[in-house]
Amino acid sequence: MDRRSVLRLLGVATVGATATDLEAIGRALHRRLGHGTPLRILDPHQNATVVALSDVILPATDTPGAKAALVNQFIDLLLAEWFSPEERDRVLAGLANVDARAKTAFGKDFLDGTPTEQIALLTALDDETARWNASPQATRGPEPFYHQLKWLTLFGYYTSEVGAEQEEHYAIIPGRYVPCAPADTVAAPE
Amino acid sequence: MPKTYDAIVVGSGMTGGWAAKELTEAGLNTLVLEAGRMVTTADYVEHVPPWQVKFRGLDDRRTRSADQPIQRECYACDEWSSKFFVNDHENPYTTPPDKPFLFLRGRQVGGRSIMWGRQVYRWSDLDFEANLRDGIAVDWPIRYADIAPWYDHVERFVGVSGEKLGLPQLPDGQFQPPMALNCGETMVRDAIAKQWPGERVVTVGRCAILTESLNGRAACHYCGYCERGCITRSYFSSINATLPVAQATGRMTLRPHSVVHSLIYDRDRRRIGGVRVIDGETKHAIEFRGRLEFLCASTLESARILLNSATREFPTGLANSSGELGHNLMDHIMGGGANGKIDAPADKNPVGRRPNGIYLPRFRNLQGGPKSPFLRGYAYQGGAGREGWGRGTDLPGFGADWKHALRDPGSWGFGFYGFGECLPNHDNYVEIDKDTKDAWGIPALRIHCVYGDNEWALMKDASISAAEMLAAAGARDITPFVDHNPPGKAIHEMGTARMGRDPKTSVLNAHNQAHDIPNLFVTDGACMASTANQNPSITYMALTARACDYAVGAMKRREI
Repeated sequence: MDRRSVLRLLGVATVGATATDLEAIGRALHRRLGHGTPLRILDPHQNATVVALSDVILPATDTPGAKAALVNQFIDLLLAEWFSPEERDRVLAGLANVDARAKTAFGKDFLDGTPTEQIALLTALDDETARWNASPQATRGPEPFYHQLKWLTLFGYYTSEVGAEQEEHYAIIPGRYVPCAPADTVAAPE
Repeated sequence: MPKTYDAIVVGSGMTGGWAAKELTEAGLNTLVLEAGRMVTTADYVEHVPPWQVKFRGLDDRRTRSADQPIQRECYACDEWSSKFFVNDHENPYTTPPDKPFLFLRGRQVGGRSIMWGRQVYRWSDLDFEANLRDGIAVDWPIRYADIAPWYDHVERFVGVSGEKLGLPQLPDGQFQPPMALNCGETMVRDAIAKQWPGERVVTVGRCAILTESLNGRAACHYCGYCERGCITRSYFSSINATLPVAQATGRMTLRPHSVVHSLIYDRDRRRIGGVRVIDGETKHAIEFRGRLEFLCASTLESARILLNSATREFPTGLANSSGELGHNLMDHIMGGGANGKIDAPADKNPVGRRPNGIYLPRFRNLQGGPKSPFLRGYAYQGGAGREGWGRGTDLPGFGADWKHALRDPGSWGFGFYGFGECLPNHDNYVEIDKDTKDAWGIPALRIHCVYGDNEWALMKDASISAAEMLAAAGARDITPFVDHNPPGKAIHEMGTARMGRDPKTSVLNAHNQAHDIPNLFVTDGACMASTANQNPSITYMALTARACDYAVGAMKRREI
């Protein structure tokens, strides 16, 4: 048997370790490669459109927004390796349809619209999605692209290091359970 | 002549770890055979945040659906913990097309004790007497008084946090301080106590997670993802607790990559002589000899080993003179319940991720109480919580103000999820499928198991009762449900080598010893004669420790 493995198994007396120590151990053990992955599915125009759309949904405020969190790169990864080819094609068609809607609304691609024009289009899409959401599931038809984009943006943002740590104040090791804390402490910095 | 061990334990998980600890502490040189790989704390990933895994927790669904299409049905088989579940192609089994069964497995040092749900509930005589009272299957050969001291013994070492309630149907144990209920849960608890005083009790789950340090293991730090491992060893697993103690005796030889093919029957001595193993890496056959054999391989794997060990004396499977080996397979039925929104304090929210929920003990068909139109009962797990950023997808709006609004927690919700007793039924059984072999050439199981009318009646009642309790707590948008889960999904499979008083109708006696073969003990879930509705692991652990004590005594008395 693997003697070294057993020694490691038995050598985990971590009593007294602090949350910070544990976090450091976790990170040291499991550090992954950072960003910088070249895009694989989105072409430059599609990518710029995803960046712009996601950053209108979750803009920079007192914390960074979707653009800084590289939500576009995560969406590209899902398109390359997670969605089925049919699902991927529906996402790309939905993206193209945003430009079609933009051309109808203000005669340009979404990217070339003014902030006011872009927000007006997203408001229309958001209202349509709210109506879809409110209609009976059996008869309401397929999920609108904007609904899916909103989910992808939220998920990509809040599971990023930027979104989780700076916006959500997500603690990897809370170190305690407080059953009825004041709600405002949840999002407050430690 | 190969070395003869005092004892061979097959399996290193929940019960194998206990057998290893108890037997080595009693002085026996013990070989622990584990089919899978070594697992160490370096495999633990509970502190890896979503942004450090490739798909952020959405999972590598292409790989998973290709390699683990069955295992992925378990909630814990995710982007972090899928490595603790088997590859379905290497580990096949079959079922009739109309009888789906989910066989969810962890093959590694630690077994499924790495990813278990950690809920710990004692049985009572309501459970041990149930088969006798109802005239179903066979009577348990033990009563609560037989196992109570062993519950004490294992709970003191496991470290169980929980609240004492004084309920006859759910005996109290050796508890550390309980985890806390959040304010949504106390609200529902109080409303239910008012409506059903003394009858329906909401408590925090009794769980094998420390709230105080114990034997060098630290109290929980509430990171919340126990199934990914625990570097502070705060929850109980064989890796975190029993195996290190066995190792420290100097009498344990733990051998990973040892896939047990069958047991070797010595017909002259009418004993098990040893174990036939396929080395998981080289695929070479090896034999090990032992005076005492403990099968702790999990319900279905122990049944498979015995069925694959048929001899001239036991043509239908080793120790099967009763004909019950492989039969009476059970799994808790789960998934009758209800959800709703509750009006808990809007200005309160828990901090920390408590890896535990609420428990509402059985209240149907108690002794001396009213009789329901079904047998036995069910209990609920569940809890209260608030919506987070995920609600944003369906929250109208976008932009800076909308982003800021998502910082506040959303609505309070409460869910009850029922777990019901499964009646033993001879027609639910496993057999060897001679045409299907695993990656090591060992014949696989064919599983025939369906829930009956009583199980579905329990879940229907659980759904209605949950909805009425939520209504009593003033909940809105109450949604009752009955999930149509196939058996196996609860991962509480039990039976196939039941204990009983009569060798003609049971495989094991009151000490988990095979009626037919005195040096063979089966102490995992295979031994169970009924399921109760409580999560079973602590009962397996107590039975294992008790059987070890008996076996060591029998060896000293030279009966084995």
